[in-house]
Amino acid sequence: MIMRVLKTILRMGLTFFAIVTLVFFATRLSGNPVDFVLADGLTQEDRDILIRYYELDRPLLTQYFAFLRGFTDGQFGLSFLERRPVADIVYERLWPSAQLLLSAMALTLVLAIPLGVIAALGRKHWIGSAVMTFVFLGYAVPNFVLALLLVLIFSYWLNWLPVVGNATAAHFIMPTIVLSGVLIAALTRFTRNAMLDVLGQDYMRTARAKGLAETTVILRHGLRNASITILSVIGLQIAGLAAAGSVVVESIFAWPGIGELLVNAAIRRDYPVLQFGVITVAFAVITINAVIDLAYSWADPRLRKGA
Amino acid sequence: MTSLPMPPKTQAFLPALWRDGNMVQRLALVIGLALIAMAILAPLIAPFSPTSQSLLGRLKPPAGFEGARPGNLLGTDELGRDVASRALYGLRLTLSLAFLGASLGLLIGGTLGMLAGLRGGRTEAAIMGAVDTQIAIPFTLVALFLLTIFGNSLEVMVIVLGLSGWEQYARIIRADVSRLMRLPFIEAARCAGAAPMRIAIRHLLPNIVSPLVVQFTLSLSSIILLESTLSFLGLGVQPPTATLGAMVGVGRDYMPTAPWIVLVPAFLILTVTFAVQILGDWLRDRADVRLRSR
Amino acid sequence: MKYLLTTTLLACALTGMAQARDLTVAAANVSDYLDPGRDHSNVGSQFYFNSFDPLIHKDYTAASEVFVPGLATAWDLVEPTVMELTLRDGVVFHDGSTMTADDVVFSLNRMFQADFPPYQVRMRDRLANFDHVEKVDDLTVRVHVKRPEPLFETLLNLQQTFIIPQAYVMGLAGDPEALEHDDFEAFSLAPVGTGPYAVAEFVPGQKITWERHDEFWGDQAPLDRVNVIHVPETASRITALRTGEADIATNIAPDQLSQIENDPDLTAVGGQTALFHVMIMNMNHPRLADPRIRQALSMAIDRDLLNEALWLGKAHVPSSHTMEEFGDLYMPELETFTYNPDRAKELLEEAGYDGFEITFDTQGSYYTNGYLAAQAITEMWGEIGINASIRDMPSWTGNSPEMMTRNWSNPMYFADPFGSFGVMWAPNGPSESEGRFNTDADYAASWDKFRYSHDVAERRAAYADLMERIAANPPVLPLYRPYESWAMRSDIVWAPKPGHIPYVLDFRAGSISFASN
Repeated sequence: MIMRVLKTILRMGLTFFAIVTLVFFATRLSGNPVDFVLADGLTQEDRDILIRYYELDRPLLTQYFAFLRGFTDGQFGLSFLERRPVADIVYERLWPSAQLLLSAMALTLVLAIPLGVIAALGRKHWIGSAVMTFVFLGYAVPNFVLALLLVLIFSYWLNWLPVVGNATAAHFIMPTIVLSGVLIAALTRFTRNAMLDVLGQDYMRTARAKGLAETTVILRHGLRNASITILSVIGLQIAGLAAAGSVVVESIFAWPGIGELLVNAAIRRDYPVLQFGVITVAFAVITINAVIDLAYSWADPRLRKGA
Repeated sequence: MTSLPMPPKTQAFLPALWRDGNMVQRLALVIGLALIAMAILAPLIAPFSPTSQSLLGRLKPPAGFEGARPGNLLGTDELGRDVASRALYGLRLTLSLAFLGASLGLLIGGTLGMLAGLRGGRTEAAIMGAVDTQIAIPFTLVALFLLTIFGNSLEVMVIVLGLSGWEQYARIIRADVSRLMRLPFIEAARCAGAAPMRIAIRHLLPNIVSPLVVQFTLSLSSIILLESTLSFLGLGVQPPTATLGAMVGVGRDYMPTAPWIVLVPAFLILTVTFAVQILGDWLRDRADVRLRSR
Repeated sequence: MKYLLTTTLLACALTGMAQARDLTVAAANVSDYLDPGRDHSNVGSQFYFNSFDPLIHKDYTAASEVFVPGLATAWDLVEPTVMELTLRDGVVFHDGSTMTADDVVFSLNRMFQADFPPYQVRMRDRLANFDHVEKVDDLTVRVHVKRPEPLFETLLNLQQTFIIPQAYVMGLAGDPEALEHDDFEAFSLAPVGTGPYAVAEFVPGQKITWERHDEFWGDQAPLDRVNVIHVPETASRITALRTGEADIATNIAPDQLSQIENDPDLTAVGGQTALFHVMIMNMNHPRLADPRIRQALSMAIDRDLLNEALWLGKAHVPSSHTMEEFGDLYMPELETFTYNPDRAKELLEEAGYDGFEITFDTQGSYYTNGYLAAQAITEMWGEIGINASIRDMPSWTGNSPEMMTRNWSNPMYFADPFGSFGVMWAPNGPSESEGRFNTDADYAASWDKFRYSHDVAERRAAYADLMERIAANPPVLPLYRPYESWAMRSDIVWAPKPGHIPYVLDFRAGSISFASN
């Protein structure tokens, strides 16, 4: 197990370095920031002045090493647009994003796993179909349509819920529902399928044959074994969420999250913000995945032995 | 552990499927086929060109509402284009993009995942490293990056959409393959000296069809949704080309005042996704021998 | 649950009434930095007027220029190139310091003799004729220009010449006795001025909070506190008005106005903003080198139809690059730009147009209705047989040799043709320097006359000549003055004032009030 942890950490480090390098050079490939950061309609002379001021004329490798040096002294540079340290900017957005993510994950776990188990057990019953139908609806509606519909109904017409920002608990309700819709659908479905797979396995028959009560069998063996698949899916979903940053939800609910920050930094080529933001998100995702990986090997005795 | 599942024979596939299905599943099948037919026949059944504008006939409501324009059954959009015609052409393009994108993702991710699971060792480490890298970088940014470098064309869009899910295929398949490789019957085949290719196709593939089908259907809908999200961010297909996602993304500001612009394509997205999901689940259940034998 | 929410909302509403002098603005865009000197963006112009003053103010209720004392109480041209200004006594900055001649010299020379690159850019495009400012005594300064300046007051009213405190700025970063570039960078995150509202909190791109500056030299501000919050989605901005989370919402597109108008609790105000949405054409693109092609592109666009359809007739379609605000220089009689599809077809044929693709670049929905206009324009080009397509570009492409046509805007930076056409289309100005516009000696001579002459008739003649040259070899077509709207609670009395540059959110005394109800 210790070897496995060390290996995982090494792999994390490598992935992280690959991402840092990839992000640096990819951003440079996607166009000169001058055209994005600076205003339109500049004379050539003015452009040159500003290029020098923003230090965009430094050779690529010099910029790269300066960027790497940031990891040693914590100086990751200033935003082209806001002219303040990128760490401040990203930090401002991190907590609101994490809050939303956690509340969406909580709602998802509370709903999806029981729903998935019910759907698997009631596979031949109308309950199973009803659960899956409900769940598919969550999948099928584009999240911004759902968001706009919720806003229209609960804020515009009924005036029950606030729509701007993250100040109170009430602010969390609509963004959490919108963000969770797809997650609940995905996780319910995977839980159901993982349960079905497990229910068909020989050891379940054995367990049943040993005369264990059906509920015990399901909870002790079924869910435990299905948890392997479920865990890996949770990992993917968290990663996907943190990564995609739920830009749409953030825009509609004016949520000061990191997704909107990153997409805007990418669109406007604010490289310092983009770089630092991407590696921050990447670091979080890699860590989450590593933890899930370890949990995964913990949950599957066969893999545990294999390591 | 009895016989291994074989892919169903194609000619008897649809009738057999029909016999097996319950009401909801049959309905989904009918809807799915109808949507595909509508998409294929769009140029024949659409009453207008999807791009022809009528600036003085903007935002007209669907037939039956006050102020409707004759001929525009589902109303007109923000440039006076026929919503019904745009929705049909949009459906056509959206389905094509989704199928191409999902297949590309399956092809790339499936191959890499299988390779990682079969080979193990360095190959696996390298492939899973790439997967980890991809997972950790927000995909919206990858899409943005590709679209700016290679220009925003339909071909690039297909590639972007295809790349959007490869790592999920790779992860799922790798996990399943490494699990299967430890099972006695594969070990037996390996000891008997079967070629890796043969193991992959004869023994592994049939056993991972079920998660693949599920992932494929999931990714069909997530690709449709991704395309609409890209449109929301202004990175979707270029105007005036219609896709369902672009119609919803661009039309969203009209939700309170001219909801048909959004609701018609949103309803189509919902129907497509819904039908695809139910069909995917159904196929999965059928492919699962163990459950059938129970 | 519902009960709980209702009581909370009720409580909010009650406290709202008790402090009726707070206001929240839901803005589509919030600045990334706040420094009136370096900024000339449409986003930034919303915010400066509440916190800063120029030496010379004007009556902003009038479109024409009527200058009134600002931080200077009197001014006089003592020589053709020297203006002496008497400063207002006892003006207090938001940081508590008192304004002296040193602050004025510092503020203006930071622009006129710019060393900080972002200031250099603004200096060059509009303040190039200013040489320096000198202090005469504590309340008197002299502004020196290079050539006699016909627009002296106009330019000393600019946002770029607003006054900021010297000691505060120099103390922000590094050595408090020395002026470093970092001082200006720090200033743009914590701006201090003399205006009726101090910036109490600023989160770039997200939020601005103004608090009343009690020691303001003029009439006290009517609001205690104003929050500007960033709400990018139109639907959310409008909804925020309904939920009471915002009192004013910016950037409401014409198509959304009916939603406001049908709501008794809300009202919308708007106006024809002092800028042109324009279509620019690259003279130096090999395919567009023949002026007849560009004339055809221009003549094929039915701007009145665009106005009627996309702006519900509320925009203004100009006959020339001219605005009412220009006063004596307003020349609506010029017929520089016309709609004539038949002539356009002939021109295409004469020029030997062979069906090559002409691209129109647009930057998503950067401009109100920009996306719709792009599609409508390419459709109009299609009608005269042009093979046109749209390129949705995330960046400015106006300096790319591949750019054929695209949308842009020509704002009125100040109320003179020099403040609009004159900046954008100057010889060696931004357009020429970006390689999509060419001028010759004759054009330069006319431009110089229009810029520097003190004789109105001569300026008008020179401007008419420039317009003729533009028509003969067009690089630009002004589409319309867009109609921009703000939505608000119906008890708020606020409207954009005609004397301001575009988008200014003016909450000074007399600019905003509340209907009693």
